[in-house]
Amino acid sequence: MSVANAILQGIFLGAFYAVLACGLSLMFGVMRIINLAHGDVAVLGAYLVLVIVQGTGLSPLLAFVIALPAMIALGYVLQLTVLQRALKAGILTPLLATFGLSIVIQNLLLLKFSPDVHSLGASAGGLTTESWNLFGSISISALGLVVLAVAVVVFAALHLFLSRTRPGWRMRATAEDPDAAELIGIDSRHVYARATAIAVAIAGLGGLFLAIRSVFDPGSGPTQLIFAFEAVVIGGMGSLWGTLLGGLALGVAQTLGAQLNPEYAALSGHLLFLAVLILRFGGVRLVRFGARA
Amino acid sequence: MSKRKVSAPSITRREMLKGTGVVLGGLAVPGLLEACLSSSSSSSSGSIKIGYVSPITGPAAGFGEPDAYVLSLAKKAFQNGINIGGSNYSVEILSRDGQSTPSVGAQVAQDLIQSQKVDLMLTTSTPETTNPVAAACEAAGVPCISTVVPWQAWYLGLGGKIGQSTTFKYIYHYCFGVEQFFNAYTHLWPQISTNKKVGVMYPNDADGNAIRGALAPALKSAGYTIVDPGAYEDGTNDYTAQIQKFIAEDCQIFNTFPIPPDFATFWQQAHQQGYTKHVKIAQIAKTGLFPSQVSSLGAIGNGLASGVYWHPTWTYKSSLTGVTCKQLADGYESSSGKQWNQQLGASLSLFDVAEAVLKASGDPKNKTKVANTVKTLSVDTIVGHLDWTKPPTFAGAPIPNVQTTPIIGGQWKQGVSKWPVDFVICENSSDPNVPVAGTLQPYTAG
Repeated sequence: MSVANAILQGIFLGAFYAVLACGLSLMFGVMRIINLAHGDVAVLGAYLVLVIVQGTGLSPLLAFVIALPAMIALGYVLQLTVLQRALKAGILTPLLATFGLSIVIQNLLLLKFSPDVHSLGASAGGLTTESWNLFGSISISALGLVVLAVAVVVFAALHLFLSRTRPGWRMRATAEDPDAAELIGIDSRHVYARATAIAVAIAGLGGLFLAIRSVFDPGSGPTQLIFAFEAVVIGGMGSLWGTLLGGLALGVAQTLGAQLNPEYAALSGHLLFLAVLILRFGGVRLVRFGARA
Repeated sequence: MSKRKVSAPSITRREMLKGTGVVLGGLAVPGLLEACLSSSSSSSSGSIKIGYVSPITGPAAGFGEPDAYVLSLAKKAFQNGINIGGSNYSVEILSRDGQSTPSVGAQVAQDLIQSQKVDLMLTTSTPETTNPVAAACEAAGVPCISTVVPWQAWYLGLGGKIGQSTTFKYIYHYCFGVEQFFNAYTHLWPQISTNKKVGVMYPNDADGNAIRGALAPALKSAGYTIVDPGAYEDGTNDYTAQIQKFIAEDCQIFNTFPIPPDFATFWQQAHQQGYTKHVKIAQIAKTGLFPSQVSSLGAIGNGLASGVYWHPTWTYKSSLTGVTCKQLADGYESSSGKQWNQQLGASLSLFDVAEAVLKASGDPKNKTKVANTVKTLSVDTIVGHLDWTKPPTFAGAPIPNVQTTPIIGGQWKQGVSKWPVDFVICENSSDPNVPVAGTLQPYTAG
């Protein structure tokens, strides 16, 4: 029974990882940008929601709806001003640009908000502590359910956007071949800016969940980024549904590992990540190596 | 979507390595916010430079937060210089950000020693900052005084051995150690009747492993049953395994040394899964040093037990500035608009020690003399009286160059003062001069 509970908690945790990873996956899929500032953008979103909550007394979920346009605008401008220039300069420049962006965001937040920790958990009320108990040992938390539901909705909406709408088609066409897309009249700059806007908005959602389930400070971004990266890689880089499944697999691997021994929680997640890396990208080479030996 | 193939423009391994090299190299760039506060006054027969290294950015930035206020007090006290052996010396304080990172700590210490030629070094808060600074000072022959690192982590971390009579020549330390936690816990916990079963969550980091090795066995011999599910990594996001174990064992006391986000995550999940209904005492350390770490938890933070290394109700006075503990807290609160925190006292006490040792040396420009003076120094600071002629003993052996200071047990409660939470002292076993304000109340927010 405790294993069943661990798997369930792992799914809840994995949904959180998937939300964090979603924007990362989208930006890589469309532009091949590995956004090292993704975690910091998420934390920036959390601070934005915090400011709205403190100013208006709204619940964090409602406050996020107000923050959403600002996040979308931020992503759009970020792409047009910083990332687009970096993209032109070669494959490694965006990596450096986002790394610099990460430092800038962290230090600006530190200046404005001090190193004090904050949380949106308290203002989310019963959402953080409410839970239902099944068969005595399985606990279904309200927060876990909300995160899981939101994750599924976000991924489904993004899927529909990419497969059913004209802007979505343009985005996929540009991802396949930006030059060919330009030839048929697609403005890749605006497609990219849209993709970053969506990615930043979803990062903000990840930041919101981080802020509700724990505390955050200006330096919280990078610690969560590693798990988001792992979710993207486990699910297959650039594949959206894969990222959702990758996040869930990572979460379940961590909680099941912890059942053996709490020391194995992080380790089993990393092992899954390594196994996927080897099978996907190094498998053939390993087999050949074995044959030669 | 799944049909969308990834056709990454080819990145060769060489390019990738070059790229990551540049990224990692960027980490060594000195901090954007490096604080370069300095003060000086002229018309004197000599000048003394004091280096001060603390974490102002990075994960331990909370410890450096009160620096601006503390430094302003110290500079005011030093503004007319100090009189040593009949001559007046101007005093300049050079403050640097260690960025919570050992390599940066070492780098700024080297700069202070080589370029600024400081006469005395002060450093505080977490081994990542103090230890590289102390190591650089010991190597260069510059006297260094540090605090707010459990003395074991400082002494053993720098290569000191228990049982050696002389270890370091230039570096000195004062802080609490594992014994003070033991004292506080064993005087705090009997105030509530429990089944004496302690669920512990000690992380797999320097603090967690030291506590697991030293505190847990001591608690066991004091009659407590320790339920330890095993070490976990900092940054873990799910604690179901530990919670299930604590519920199964009915651990009515809970003790942990986590980083703040890990505790917030754990405590919320403990509520969701019903463990907090079993908890009568939730004793947290490391998290809970700063009020924001408790107040941000909201209702479930009410009644967490913790420990303090300084508190506004203590009766000591800063020998350098003359301010009392209450004046220090009030002054900080009115100048910053934020609640007092323990680091105020600790940071200010470094300057109390600095002034006392410079004066007692008779020759502040002679580094060996200054360093040797600390050995016999007896000084009243805002965290209490320090006397390096009486080193603490551990396992029967005296620990040279170290002074222990108290950890006082108590509880974070809501509705005590104008702030969302405030710390109520419930025992004073490590320092009887500290006034006790109440008794420990059972945790009821579960």
